[in-house]
Amino acid sequence: MPRESSSIADLLADARVWKLKDASASHRPSSSRPVWSTGKSALDARLPGGGWPTASLVEVLIDVNGLGEVQLFLPALVESQRRTDGDVPWLVWIGPPHEPYAPALAQQGIELGRLLVVRPPSATEALWAAEQALRSGVCAAVLLWLKGTDDRWLRRLKLAAEEGGALGVLFRPERHRFESSPASLRLLMTRGEQQPRLELLKVQGGRPGLVDLGVS
Amino acid sequence: MKARPRRVQTGARTADLFAAPAPTTAPLTTVPPLVAPAIVVPPPRPAIAPVSSQRRRSLWYAVVFAGTPDLAALSLHAQQFTSFVSHEAPNALLLEIRGSLRLFGSFLRLRELLDARWQALGLQTQSAIAPSTLAALWSARLGEDLCSDEATTLNGRLLQMPLICTAWDAARLQTLRSMGIQRLGDLLRLPRAGLARRLGVQAVRDLDVALGKQPEARRAFVPRERFRERLDFETEIEHVACLERALEPVLERCALFLRRRQAGVQSLALRLRHRVRTPTVVRLGYASVTSEPRRLVEVLSQRLGRLELPAAVRSIELHSGTLQPLSAVSLDAFGGGGRDTAVQLIERLRARLGEQAVYGVTTQSEHRPEAAWCRVQQLSLAAPSASDPQPPEIMPRPVWLLDEPVLLSPREIGELRLESGAGPRDPERIETGWWDGKGVARDYYRIRPARGAQLWVFQERHTKSWFLHGMFA
Repeated sequence: MPRESSSIADLLADARVWKLKDASASHRPSSSRPVWSTGKSALDARLPGGGWPTASLVEVLIDVNGLGEVQLFLPALVESQRRTDGDVPWLVWIGPPHEPYAPALAQQGIELGRLLVVRPPSATEALWAAEQALRSGVCAAVLLWLKGTDDRWLRRLKLAAEEGGALGVLFRPERHRFESSPASLRLLMTRGEQQPRLELLKVQGGRPGLVDLGVS
Repeated sequence: MKARPRRVQTGARTADLFAAPAPTTAPLTTVPPLVAPAIVVPPPRPAIAPVSSQRRRSLWYAVVFAGTPDLAALSLHAQQFTSFVSHEAPNALLLEIRGSLRLFGSFLRLRELLDARWQALGLQTQSAIAPSTLAALWSARLGEDLCSDEATTLNGRLLQMPLICTAWDAARLQTLRSMGIQRLGDLLRLPRAGLARRLGVQAVRDLDVALGKQPEARRAFVPRERFRERLDFETEIEHVACLERALEPVLERCALFLRRRQAGVQSLALRLRHRVRTPTVVRLGYASVTSEPRRLVEVLSQRLGRLELPAAVRSIELHSGTLQPLSAVSLDAFGGGGRDTAVQLIERLRARLGEQAVYGVTTQSEHRPEAAWCRVQQLSLAAPSASDPQPPEIMPRPVWLLDEPVLLSPREIGELRLESGAGPRDPERIETGWWDGKGVARDYYRIRPARGAQLWVFQERHTKSWFLHGMFA
């Protein structure tokens, strides 16, 4: 998306411009930036535009690994790699809790030749790496696992994501729930009785609340 | 004085040339009679008529440097002007410039450019151009402003030159001096055979070469295939920022070195020497073969940014790894613009986080789950192939794989209800690897405990013990 042109449509498409009517409308107008489907219709319906927003920061609060948190994003990652006409964009996973298992990702349709795993030695380095990757413009999405970070860094990540047109996903522990966050979308994933419980804490242009994922 | 060169020019044989009566002062009697005339003097070629074969002949630019310069380094500069550069130890270079004349216009212009280059490098030089190697070299040594493509003027000037320009050994020069011979012209008047006996065949050959009667076989300088440069500082450097500034020109030279060879490097080694401590070695790694100065410098500054100097640095030395040919993919001349390329991103991450911390993953055709993938350090930057043949996996695989399978305790097994009749069904049986001693015989189950993550567990078929191996995230 060319950022130089300053038509009204481009201005409105900028995530920093918050339109009042979006707050009430459940769907954004089609002229806004593309979204990537989450692969779950129940969740798509709750998100403005019907999917994960590109060029923005999404925060997922989660304490336990393996609740299907990556699965929420995998269809979007596959779509982001397929949709471009030119070079296949990169996916960067920074500090994942375990080894990303290549056969599983290939099974889902991820282009493994365009996946970069980064193991930074510290949280600061991880944030730096995430900022670099988001800003570079060659990445479709950057997934970042962190134990904790402050608001200032998140703001930098958000700006980098907007500048590079990439989707930034930040996984953090649940204890950060009551801190303010510049992320345009905040989700809380916890264990549920039958299946994991997904709650939208903050949705820019949508309504927060519980999401019924249905039986997976 | 003018009569002598005319003889040469008109195609006189050397025999005529040397037939001039020897000076009476020559102390020929001091030479002991030879026992066996074993020295064979090759008959010189007839002097080439200058007009007819002017195009064929080579033209030489000789440059003599003051002091003891690094000829190899200077040859690299010289190679921008001609493909044939030859070393003349200890301090001179010889360049064949006939082949470059059309590109540069005239040899006068070429000489100007070359001299300007040496001056820009802060070197004191003397240069000359002549149709023969030694004539050019000797003139340059003397500082004679010889710049001629014509044998006539050349030979006229040559005869006037003092013998010292030949740089023959001291004994030989002493012999000649005691014979009363001061100039090359005097020498050429002596009988050729006698000259060869007294001074050696080589001296006669040198004279032939200088006069252009005989070509000289010279070895062209072939640049070495590694870049290496050392900088010694007058004062010790304590700050990384100063170090970076000092290194930038070195990296630029390195880039130039690579460009000229159509080659690139994937890593550079930087050695920082301290006064007492062992040198600090910094490795600069690149995501792809490159010779881009911008990329070289960027990785350097990232790497230096997180470097802590254990002590002040006295000197630095930059080594290139093995040179590799540049491919079209590695030339990112058209990529980017203001934006990064993937290569630059990976490089920057690696420079700061370390080589091992940034990697890719790929699948391997193998049934054991832990061996079905591997890390990839060498990331391919070419566009991925459209149809990657994936092994048809029927059973889903978890996104997270544990480094090592974790043995589940009986309590955990109970919690997961693995043993009971209501436990998991339809295992995926993996039984393979018996041939290399790491055989596995496992039944894999995908289970979801009442509250929590979806797990990938297996039961060892021989021991019946349960392990956790992955998580479906």
